[in-house]
Amino acid sequence: MAAAATAAVTIGPTAAPVAEEGLSGEAAPAAAPPPQALAPSAGPRLSRLPLARVKALVKADPDVTLAGQEAIFILARAAELFVETIARDAYFSAQQGKRKTLQRKDLDNAIEAVDEFAFLEGTLD
Amino acid sequence: MAERPEDLNLPNAVITRIIKEALPDGVNISKEARSAISRAASVFVLYATSCANNFAMKGKRKTLNAGDVLSAMEEMEFQRFISPLKEALDAYRREQKGKKEASEQKKKDKDKRTDSEEQDKIREDDNDEDDERMEEEEQNEEEEVDN
Repeated sequence: MAAAATAAVTIGPTAAPVAEEGLSGEAAPAAAPPPQALAPSAGPRLSRLPLARVKALVKADPDVTLAGQEAIFILARAAELFVETIARDAYFSAQQGKRKTLQRKDLDNAIEAVDEFAFLEGTLD
Repeated sequence: MAERPEDLNLPNAVITRIIKEALPDGVNISKEARSAISRAASVFVLYATSCANNFAMKGKRKTLNAGDVLSAMEEMEFQRFISPLKEALDAYRREQKGKKEASEQKKKDKDKRTDSEEQDKIREDDNDEDDERMEEEEQNEEEEVDN
């Protein structure tokens, strides 16, 4: 089971195999991810976020008529990059507080400190 | 079941994994922080969609395409995403092309078998036209967004 999960997760640092605490309820779906292509070496990774969910978000916009598959895919990948980015910025704040656990306030600090995150203000409450 | 758009969440397990892989080993994340990041990601997609849609409309197109999303990234000041996104797009296109060629090959094999039977040839031709049209629709890669 763990082997299958690792194989499907592809390149980059191997996902921490053991310390997946807090994922018990969600381990099942995580262990059987959608069949994304495997990049052999350090090629670009295709998205891990399920395109169906991203598509649901896109459809929620009343002004959007149609969205091509490629657009959905790019949005999914962009959302991943966004998560990575904001997590790192929040971590910077945790480090300032000499903590090894990211807390909600670290996220708030990151949003305040980083211009690109201004669009998030007032949306997370 | 329809909620506000911000409530449309991305799967927690995937979000958590993405976060953990972005951070050094040994760093943890509280449930509240994880949940907030997940919501932020949804808001990001909504905002990017809206932005991208503006570009599509400017170009008098009704279908959002990848270029619109890239333009949106630029507009949202996430230029650093553009290069990795272009790479991902190339890989995605190659994968799609591979899939399409595989299914076309299957179709060719199927056609060979049915042609050799030589029955109801006219009906077969009609069906082929339908198949081609359907394939073309798939190739256009348009997802109907019912609004």
